Amino acid sequence: MTPDLDLVHRAAAGDHAAFHLLVERHRTMVYRVAYQFARDHHDAEDITQEVFIKVYKSLDKFRQDAQLTSWMYRIAMNACIDHKRRHSPAGAAPFGEEAEFRMLNTPEDAPGPEDRAYAGELGEVLEQEIQRLPPGQRVVFIMRHHQGLKLGEIADSLGLAEGTVKRQLHAAVHRLRQALTVANVTTGGQA
Amino acid sequence: MSAPCTIQDDGSIELYFYGELDENAQASVRAHLTRCRDCAQVLEELQVIRAALSIRPDISAPASGDWTAFMARLDAVLQQPRLVAFAPRPAVARTVLTRRPFIGLLATAALLAVVAISVFMASRGGRTLITDQPGLTPVEQVASREAPVEPEMQAALAAVGLRHLERSKLVVLGLATKDSTPAPGQGPDWAYERELARSLLNDTRIYRQAAEQRGLTRLAGVMRDLELVLLQTSMAEAGDRAALPQIQRLIHKRGLVEKMDVAGTTGILP
Repeated sequence: MTPDLDLVHRAAAGDHAAFHLLVERHRTMVYRVAYQFARDHHDAEDITQEVFIKVYKSLDKFRQDAQLTSWMYRIAMNACIDHKRRHSPAGAAPFGEEAEFRMLNTPEDAPGPEDRAYAGELGEVLEQEIQRLPPGQRVVFIMRHHQGLKLGEIADSLGLAEGTVKRQLHAAVHRLRQALTVANVTTGGQA
Repeated sequence: MSAPCTIQDDGSIELYFYGELDENAQASVRAHLTRCRDCAQVLEELQVIRAALSIRPDISAPASGDWTAFMARLDAVLQQPRLVAFAPRPAVARTVLTRRPFIGLLATAALLAVVAISVFMASRGGRTLITDQPGLTPVEQVASREAPVEPEMQAALAAVGLRHLERSKLVVLGLATKDSTPAPGQGPDWAYERELARSLLNDTRIYRQAAEQRGLTRLAGVMRDLELVLLQTSMAEAGDRAALPQIQRLIHKRGLVEKMDVAGTTGILP
């Protein structure tokens, strides 16, 4: 199998077939991340497309010593946050630090776990609660829990301090545990 | 009675759970867990969360399970000239068009949109569409014209977008009014609507992306709703009795018929 780095070089030199091969090789990873973030096929496809457009435009900036998957991962996570930013009400306004803080830390407006626990299994309730997490917490939780990245790697990828990543993870886990408690209470501990 | 444990407040339990602590801290928390019921409870909850999430379906491909449409759309976007960042690709583009006919169809649709926009603009401005450039096809002549200014481009895109909405209204109204409770033993008869939806889906996505890029948020919003309805319709199985009511609820929930009506009567420019 042709190494990724060779494909990157060929694609950067204008070899479209090489770029196709790169996309085919990594699209499931990117889609999985996008879907875990968005929980919607429509948005996941948009995010995945944005990721590969960004990859395509930045091939010549890829550092030789970096891991391609980590690089794509970073682009994917930023694309998730960008996508959320564009499709949130705050996205219509100029995007300052304060707005970004609100966007990253304001829970999604959706029914709480009390209203949903009766309807589904525990995993579904937790998934829905993950969707209600502020985007920053959601990204960190997905990277740590679903993708198995270390906190240091997450911090590097997102350009955040490791302490910030720890706090985001802690807050995310705390909310999921609360949802778990509510779900167990509402379903009589059957979930 | 002992004071409540505070170790979980600093996140140590989840760091232990995720293996993020160094060896000494890991051992320390492990020892703590043997004597602290609260923290053991937190760890147990984390294990339940992991177990519950681990059995959820792993979604790593589009709903149809087929990447063909995705790859075609990506190709279409990448072939836009302004995306060429590092190398000229005309020869490669021709190769891909030859090898993959569906990409050729998409490109043709995009070129037709360019022509439609240009015709519209020419009619508005009283200008001649086809210039005297020997050796060029009409499409090449249109492409070689000076780029229109943004308001003109927005107006032109809005006009062709509205025409597309008019065409699509047939299928949306058909879906919205179709009897979703046919006689026992029979599935809903909606083959015509599903066929139309499939034929309109790619164009809808192209218009939606163009509207997003041009800042036509209202048009992009209607196209997005339409695209979702067309996607679900085109993916539905003929005998799926639950699909049609779901799509009808989606149309109703998104107010798609009303949005298309409003767009047709009051226009869609920002």
